[in-house]
Amino acid sequence: MANIFPRWSNLLPLKIAVCAGATAAGVALAFAYYATPKAQVVGYQPAQPIPFSHKIHVDQVGLDCRYCHSFVDVTGHSNVPTGSTCWNCHQHVQRDSPKLAPLHKSMDVTYPGYDGKPIEWVRVHKAPDYVYFNHSAHVNRGISCQSCHGNVNKMEVIYQAESHSMGWCLDCHRAPEKNLRPLEEVYNFAYNAETFISNNPQLGVKTTEELGLKLKEQFMVNPKATCATCHR
Amino acid sequence: MSKRILHHPEVPAGETTVAWRSVGQLEDTADFRQWLDREFPQGAAEMANEEDAETSRRSFLKLMGASTALAGFGMAACRRPESYIVPYTKAPEWVIPGKATYYASAMPRAHGATPLVVTTFEGRPTKLAPNHLHPDSEGTDAFAQASVLDLYSPSRSRKILKGGNAAARADFEAALATIATDKSAKVGFLFGADDSPTRARLTQELATKFSSAKFYQYEALTGESSAVALGEGVKLVANFAKADRIVSLDCDFAGTDSQGPVTAFFDRRKPEGKSYEGKPDASKMNRLYSVEAAFTLTGGMADHRLRVSPSQVTAVAAQIARGLGVKAGVAIVSPELSDPKHVAWVNGLVDDLKANAGKSLVLAGSRQSLALHLLAHAINQSLGNIGEGKPLLAVQTGTKGLGNLAALKNDIDAKAVDTLIVLTPSNPLYDAPADLKFGESYAKLKTSIHFGTRTDATAHASTWHLPAAHYLESWSDARSASGTYTVVQPMILPLYKDCVSELELLLALLSNDGKLLNGEGEKGAASPAYTAVRATFSTLGGAGDTAWKKLLRDGFLAGSSYPIANPKLRGDLSAPIVATPPTKDSLEVIFATDSSIFDGRWIDNGWLQEAPDPISKLTWDNVALVAPSTAKELGIYDQIIQLETDFASRSPDDEAQNRTSPMIRLAVNGQTLEIPILVSFGQAENTIVIPLGYGQGFDKHDELKRGPKNESHVGLVGVNRGFNAYPLRTAATAYFATGAKVAPTTLRYSVALTQEHNAMYGRALAREVSTLGDEEKGSFAAQLANVPKQGNDSHAPPTVSLYQPKDRAGKPLLSDPLHQWGMSIDLSSCMGCNSCLVACQSENNIPIVGKRQVAMGREMHWIRMDRYFAAQKDNTFDEGNPEMVPQPVACVQCESAPCETVCPVNATIHTEDGLNAMAYNRCIGTRYCANNCPYKARRFNYFDYNKRNPLIAHNLYKGPFGEKQVGEAPHLQKNPNVTVRMRGVMEKCTYCVQRLKDSVIRQKQGQKQEALVAGKASTEMQVNVNTLRIPVDSVKTACQDACPAGAITFGNLLDEEKSALGRSKRIDRNYDLLNYIGTRPRTSYLARVKNPNPAMPDAKFVGKATIHMA
Repeated sequence: MANIFPRWSNLLPLKIAVCAGATAAGVALAFAYYATPKAQVVGYQPAQPIPFSHKIHVDQVGLDCRYCHSFVDVTGHSNVPTGSTCWNCHQHVQRDSPKLAPLHKSMDVTYPGYDGKPIEWVRVHKAPDYVYFNHSAHVNRGISCQSCHGNVNKMEVIYQAESHSMGWCLDCHRAPEKNLRPLEEVYNFAYNAETFISNNPQLGVKTTEELGLKLKEQFMVNPKATCATCHR
Repeated sequence: MSKRILHHPEVPAGETTVAWRSVGQLEDTADFRQWLDREFPQGAAEMANEEDAETSRRSFLKLMGASTALAGFGMAACRRPESYIVPYTKAPEWVIPGKATYYASAMPRAHGATPLVVTTFEGRPTKLAPNHLHPDSEGTDAFAQASVLDLYSPSRSRKILKGGNAAARADFEAALATIATDKSAKVGFLFGADDSPTRARLTQELATKFSSAKFYQYEALTGESSAVALGEGVKLVANFAKADRIVSLDCDFAGTDSQGPVTAFFDRRKPEGKSYEGKPDASKMNRLYSVEAAFTLTGGMADHRLRVSPSQVTAVAAQIARGLGVKAGVAIVSPELSDPKHVAWVNGLVDDLKANAGKSLVLAGSRQSLALHLLAHAINQSLGNIGEGKPLLAVQTGTKGLGNLAALKNDIDAKAVDTLIVLTPSNPLYDAPADLKFGESYAKLKTSIHFGTRTDATAHASTWHLPAAHYLESWSDARSASGTYTVVQPMILPLYKDCVSELELLLALLSNDGKLLNGEGEKGAASPAYTAVRATFSTLGGAGDTAWKKLLRDGFLAGSSYPIANPKLRGDLSAPIVATPPTKDSLEVIFATDSSIFDGRWIDNGWLQEAPDPISKLTWDNVALVAPSTAKELGIYDQIIQLETDFASRSPDDEAQNRTSPMIRLAVNGQTLEIPILVSFGQAENTIVIPLGYGQGFDKHDELKRGPKNESHVGLVGVNRGFNAYPLRTAATAYFATGAKVAPTTLRYSVALTQEHNAMYGRALAREVSTLGDEEKGSFAAQLANVPKQGNDSHAPPTVSLYQPKDRAGKPLLSDPLHQWGMSIDLSSCMGCNSCLVACQSENNIPIVGKRQVAMGREMHWIRMDRYFAAQKDNTFDEGNPEMVPQPVACVQCESAPCETVCPVNATIHTEDGLNAMAYNRCIGTRYCANNCPYKARRFNYFDYNKRNPLIAHNLYKGPFGEKQVGEAPHLQKNPNVTVRMRGVMEKCTYCVQRLKDSVIRQKQGQKQEALVAGKASTEMQVNVNTLRIPVDSVKTACQDACPAGAITFGNLLDEEKSALGRSKRIDRNYDLLNYIGTRPRTSYLARVKNPNPAMPDAKFVGKATIHMA
């Protein structure tokens, strides 16, 4: 009886094994490379030079966003605090924490490795160069930090909470009522629309949506959805 | 399917105006036809037949499919690169990241400083705008606008040189200390012609310290006649608001020969008043008479223009003086004018001047002869035009006791000066009159220190060259035209550590040990120049901090001006008046000030080099210009036109990058020059205009193999550019020379002319009316009423749009209830000066593309400054004197935009507030939009001009192997609020959308402020249209802001009559460009008004230059 399997097929199992192994390795590598938070848009959470905790500063200490991001309501960029803003408190508080070494290096003239150079924070939220997003246009008109940056007050390490894709932007530009708040509540991470409605019966609104629509009409919020709104 | 071409209507029978852009169009060459028919010369291939179209579409889809599939294999976009946010450690005061800060400063210049407001981003100056608070504010010209680029110029001098080679700073400091410590040093100082009070004060101190110090002043193209006629340091400042009649005797006061703030002149070119507040009234307009040889910007604005050669201008002035009966002060030795037409012209002018004595103004060109200045001054005096409240004011400037270049040469030769410090912005070793042989004397100096921003000829001939700090890096002060004390503030520390300011150098010499302190000076301290300026100011404006802070905020000291002088006309001068008119064998050469590079100092400024000359539309070079009749007489006219051969399928110059012009050999003053020649309209016969300042250095790539020669004198922008005419010039013939001879040569030289680029078809593109009525056109009122009906706008049926201006939900597309933007451009006050074009370039990150690309029609300027010539067929007065009509055209933001409907990717769409927006990141570069734009207002990035330097030979064509320029200094100038476009992207004007968005967002912030002030809960707050609409006329586009003539009005159409824009849209002169094709543009034009004098022989040919292009 002739051989069913020709001679060349002797090596076939080995070949299959090698290929399968290579594929598996490739998948594993790709998973490690693409599926970790570093490669994500939502959930991007790089390590920062100082493991700064928004949770401690906002939730426990009770700092307002604008203590550090001081120009968020006057300019397009929301600034990252200068070294001296941190040093204001930390020359007194937690001064000797080893986590603050980079701050000492940049601010503390008595520190052995002092060089006066700024801290290089790793950028988390990045709009492409051709997008001209303006923070002040949003926070002054009733859009909270929380709507785009998520519950920053709960974040031990900052990460990106929303996709910030163009479709995501347009969702809100087409229906801003879902996110509008009274101007006083923009920086309040504990804001709850239902509580606000029940505390302010004089507004005559019952649901969150009604509140949003009322604010939209009252503030004359009419977001544009054409290209030049963000691209120029 | 072949391309459907819209056929514009024929020019009506009986139209007497002939209009053209270029000599090629006048002769109807095939080359011009091509420019007119195609949006892009040859690149954008049209599909010849159906078969072609099918194949192309299929292969296009195939290629696109393949490239999309391949894109998936790339890894680059999968993982985001780590980027960093680097905050300040200690925030500088007033700096808010992302927000511009504005400072008042000034650009020192010979005719008076230009007051500026500088935009800075995080300490980086990016944009200059005029300081409208300043009493001498007159907009900004192209030079001022482009000067910010010099700060970042890669070819800027940044190292100390000794004998042309890099030297150590310590060595220079030692040399400087030797001079500073030797109180008997025979040191000379050569200043520029600008006037700085602190420098004048330090000059006094220097004179005290150095007993044998001598002081001089030199700028190549600042004439001396006026100072001789009036006395030292005395100058006349024109107040155009008071002048009803203006006579320009070869004086380009609106262009390169400023005589005082010029904005008031242009305000009075508008019959409705400056911001269109009144009814049209011809009597409120001024009238300009111009006597000149070749068109200047001023001549283009003239109501009556007489073209005579420069030597004959004096004869015309003498005739005017005789007509007015002027006797005092000047012996008129000139024969009567021989041409009866000229006599009639002068007689009409004389009568008008007599009728307007005390309200008229006679200006003589500052580089013209002494005789002309004496005559002009005598005429002004006899008419009572000089004095307080009069159109002319004589003032005493602070530049007294300064010798001229000839005196300096004598002193060097006589060994009275052995050490010279050259501080002038001119370049005496290159631009001094040839017969002075200044270079020979200069070589005799023991020590010469050249101070400048460029390593030019003088820098190389000097013992030492010290790099100068830019005025945006220095503390100084200056006087504006009428003498208002104006501060020059630094915006940034010198970019390069060895750059020193003029005052810092003088202060080093004044110090005991000669120590040179620049920039911050000693650590933590301010520059010593700051202390010096403050000390000067305290004597003028008081010592305290309040006055000083006000000065820094406003930029000037209110109420400070030059003391009034009472110049006596010097009767001892009887200047000879030469009056032999030029002939074909004895031509007259005019050494013109170049409108791109001035005297040559801006040869390394790419924006200026690429800005087309306002008259000749030439970029990157200089050429000799002659009248068409002279060209014919010389036998070179046909060579210039060179009609295309019948059998060539393509133009012989390919995509026009090889277009050449013939060269001539010009002999004058015993020197010869080979230079290309072009035809210029409206120029006096038998004159040749040669702009100065070019030909400073050549390398091995030079087209005529002139290099390498003086290669190190210029940077990449200035190398191999043009022809140097300075050697032809002598001290006696500094402005014009007679007796020139021209011989043809066989050489040709490539020229990058933009006059035919993006040529538009259409009827009544630029419209003109006259205040003088005639039988055919009717009265002034009738002509005004007829403006919107010119061309075929009266009888063309209204174009009905098939598209509904509503979206699917029934909401109007132009739905913004707060802002609807619009613009109007007043052709009555636009002179075509390029200021807007350069301002736009600086605001919108527009790259330069280099000479070769310009020749191919790829210049990127968003504003195209069209310049038309228009002649009357029946002009019996002077048929060779057409009118010049400039018309700036940028995207007109059509409401029914033809470009939007053809974009396959929706990259250009309409915004709710009426802009035709461009999303660069969406554009895939099909160029369909540009092909469909009837205004040809779109520009395409054929190459990555921003990334790869277009000035390096062949660099653009090397693709990824080309040399990059990313990270070089010029990138610091970029406006962070505008995308820097890449290759393959279409771009165009968007009404400075970044400024509009910024102002609207700032207005929105006000809502929050109001809530805070009111103390009420935001839910109880009332927000209305007024809360969110920006204040009337509060936002300006870059072009509008820069315009010295106030020709551009921009605003919110919803402000209606409250805004200047709303008013301008409602006057009769308002018309839409190409109205009959139904694009509904947001930019409209206001017809040009000429105000001729009925008594003039040429009056009936004026004011009829309505431009039809067919």
